[in-house]
Amino acid sequence: MTTGQKISVTVNGVNYEREVEPRLSLGDFLRHDLQLGGTHLGCEHGVCGACSILIDGKSVRACLMLAIQADGLEITTIEGLRDPQGGHLHPIQQAFVEEHGLQCGFCTPGFIISTVELLAGNPSPSDEQIKDALGGNLCRCTGYETILRSVRLASARVQAGKAAAHNSA
Amino acid sequence: MVRDIPNSPDMLPITSTRYVGKAVKRIEDPALVSGTVEFIDNYSVPGMAHCAMMRSPHPHARVLSVDTGAAEKMPGVYAVLTGEDVKKWCNPMATSPEGWGAYCLAVDKVRFVGEPVVAVAATSRYVAEDALELIDVEYELLPVLVDPHKALEADSPTLFEENKTNVIQDRSYTWGEIDQVFSEADHVFTEKFRWNRCGANPMETFGCVCDWDTVNDYVTCRGSYQTPGFMALGRAGSFNLPSNKIKVISHPHGGSFGGKGGPRGTEIAALLSRKAGGRPVKYIEDRVEYLLAGAGQSWDRYYKASIAVKADGSVSGFKVDLLDDQGAGSEGWGTISVAKPLAAFTGCYRIEAAQYNMKLVVSNRAPTFAYRGYGPPPHNLVLESLMDIAARELGVDAAEFRRRNYIQPEQFPYTIPSGNEYDSGDYEAVLDKVLGMADYQALRAEQEKLRAEGKLVGIGVASTVEPGVFDWNAYSTVGVAGVGVPEGVKVAIDIMGQITVTVGFSLEGQGQYTLAAQLVADYFCVEMESVRVAYAATDVAPPHFGPGGSRLGVAMSGAILGACQKIEDKFAQVVARLMQTEPGNVELMDGHMRVKGVPGAEMHIAQVAGTMLNRSDLLPPGMEPCPEATYVWTAPNRNQPDDQGRCRSYLTAANACHVALVEIDPGTGVTDILKYFIVDDCGTRLNPATVEGQIQGGVAQGVGAAFFEEYVYTEDCQPLVSLFSDYLLPTIHEVPIAAKGDVVTPSPVAPLGAKGCGEGAIHTTPATLMCAVNDALFPLGVQIRETPMSPNRVWTLIQQAQ
Repeated sequence: MTTGQKISVTVNGVNYEREVEPRLSLGDFLRHDLQLGGTHLGCEHGVCGACSILIDGKSVRACLMLAIQADGLEITTIEGLRDPQGGHLHPIQQAFVEEHGLQCGFCTPGFIISTVELLAGNPSPSDEQIKDALGGNLCRCTGYETILRSVRLASARVQAGKAAAHNSA
Repeated sequence: MVRDIPNSPDMLPITSTRYVGKAVKRIEDPALVSGTVEFIDNYSVPGMAHCAMMRSPHPHARVLSVDTGAAEKMPGVYAVLTGEDVKKWCNPMATSPEGWGAYCLAVDKVRFVGEPVVAVAATSRYVAEDALELIDVEYELLPVLVDPHKALEADSPTLFEENKTNVIQDRSYTWGEIDQVFSEADHVFTEKFRWNRCGANPMETFGCVCDWDTVNDYVTCRGSYQTPGFMALGRAGSFNLPSNKIKVISHPHGGSFGGKGGPRGTEIAALLSRKAGGRPVKYIEDRVEYLLAGAGQSWDRYYKASIAVKADGSVSGFKVDLLDDQGAGSEGWGTISVAKPLAAFTGCYRIEAAQYNMKLVVSNRAPTFAYRGYGPPPHNLVLESLMDIAARELGVDAAEFRRRNYIQPEQFPYTIPSGNEYDSGDYEAVLDKVLGMADYQALRAEQEKLRAEGKLVGIGVASTVEPGVFDWNAYSTVGVAGVGVPEGVKVAIDIMGQITVTVGFSLEGQGQYTLAAQLVADYFCVEMESVRVAYAATDVAPPHFGPGGSRLGVAMSGAILGACQKIEDKFAQVVARLMQTEPGNVELMDGHMRVKGVPGAEMHIAQVAGTMLNRSDLLPPGMEPCPEATYVWTAPNRNQPDDQGRCRSYLTAANACHVALVEIDPGTGVTDILKYFIVDDCGTRLNPATVEGQIQGGVAQGVGAAFFEEYVYTEDCQPLVSLFSDYLLPTIHEVPIAAKGDVVTPSPVAPLGAKGCGEGAIHTTPATLMCAVNDALFPLGVQIRETPMSPNRVWTLIQQAQ
């Protein structure tokens, strides 16, 4: 048995201080210690991208980091995107809904996180740039067409300044 | 009473449909994009233990001893389960022909690398894996059965010793005068094909949380179950428990495609719970476990096949010899996927006679399981490749050759030699449309031009039939205990006019909850937001099967329409009483029960429901005050198979034609898909957006099978694939975005005219791509007959040609 180590992390704007085993993965820490279950684990060896999160704005695979390595860092997970007051979806989430950018939805948080990172740095990416940004995320359901369309729509929304998401019928 | 279910959306009781047939947004999606859906690993209960498994490092060995003493004493360990426990408490899983199944943990011997041998339940997965380190298993290595061809020989190592053979089944189906047809043919073309094993790999692996109530001997299993009712029944059999003492709760799951697995993991977790005194035990399969020994391996096949062709280019006969390596037993319903091609054996063509000789054998590779399409993808690759070979030899264009052999629209319903009946179709219209979209003549001209420049460019054209809405009669001929495949739902209207649909399956990705809401909203003319779809566990759900065999959209539609009709009938009785007329004079239209021919004499459905629940004094005497109905639908007009397996098995026959343009880089053997076109006909498209999603997703899986995905084993049956860096799922870079079009030939026999459509693209894509690659290779004088057509295989062929 190993002994715990104290860490302090900020996740979706909330600070958490926890004692964790050094071997605890960041993915397991987020999912089970903090009950933020939207970060899904698809392979636990860094290939599928389902567990993508943002650390200081950059996408990172939660399965490839230990919780103790996140000490002092700012993390955004899929749960941090939706407007907590009004309940509105983030424009990227809304675009995925409108363009049928998901089927089972298990890989979706990872794709959305990768898209957040992409559009933050490049609000109007070309298709090739979208593919480059999402090439590290695997989806087994959609065949990627509607994901590409979702990112294009999200980009267009950002461009048109229509960032406010409305759950229109 | 069996009801007449409307076979067209025009027959719904609404002036014009608002949701059915429209690309409406899915009700599943807001929660999925928010990350709040309760996939099984998001579920925890206090005191829950976590399971880890020790797996066999050997492909074939006798288990001489298992020492778990140190692990049992380790702090944090609640229970250790071994083959001895399993032998005492459990039966082999009943998912195979009798005698070819296995216990959930190895009993006495192991038959494949990755087979679970010991399982531990502990305070965390981390601690459970620590405990595995303390367990010693002593093995005596046994000779390994590597080559499935050797399985047919008497002196091969025997996996299931009590069976005294490695042949699970060896049977031959003959349909029509096959010998005569082949002897009278002007041409016979014969070729061998090899389909290497690939499989489902949903992004979420299997997981469950099981608890064994040791006081009442009642077992509850929560998990990512595709077919929960089936799972419950199977576990009752395994555990010697009454069928009503197993409850299965299916959580939303991250894809399944037939290859989610479940029986082994569920039984191990449940038995650990029993051993730990009833403490709930969670088992989450990891990806390495899935790739080694989960339900992700399918279709390990060796084909030799022939077609008989007359001088005029008509194909008259089709013979298939199949050797199927099921792996170490057929616990994964593996035999069924060999039988499914019976439902569309001769594809789109007027072929009068056919023969299917199949040998199913075991080997020391992992057991094979179901995968989307369930067998036809390799079969179609064989048939379509032979069509191309014949076309080329006869000097006929590939598309034209197919056209000449299509079943004609006026021939439906059409019974194929293997016995299934196709409901409807217009294959030539589908072909014409896709050739138009591809500008086929221009594409051929472009190909000629590029070939002249020395480029390896090929065009593939493939046509297939997708059988939809299976019935178990299709599979009963290959020795798997059948279960019924009805689909039941309950529809309930409350006092406020809100409607709840209760179903027996959970979210898996196909958008079926949305479809349920679309149908009910249009039937009763309410907003989709007024319809909630609720999941019911196996102990309370109506009879159900769930998704599988391209069936659920159609089957659930039938069930919902039947339930809605029953409510309408009840409401007619209530309104007739209130309006002093006969129930036959009352009809539902646009959300109101109205008296025919009496303007204004009507009640809204919420009023009727409210009256039923509040005012028994106003109801017809003796009427049950229940504005709810359950209806269980099953495909009409099914029949028993004859001695050659012939029966009406699948209700609907969808059709598709794909056209691909590919270019091969001769320096690397890498194939680039330059263009991809699809036209399909799945009858009425109930939600065109989800239909297109199914098609494009199937293309991606087809591309994977054609070029990338393969479970590679060494020559002594050690798996070389254990990570996603070994098993290559296609990414956004590899999957072509297909141009898509449709033809709509409604099914005359299925609810709303819709045909099963979940599998058609994976049925067609590998065949199309192999035809295209071979067209590209043709000038070099080499052809590829093996999947995946990976760069090394293609490059090696090109080297041979030079």
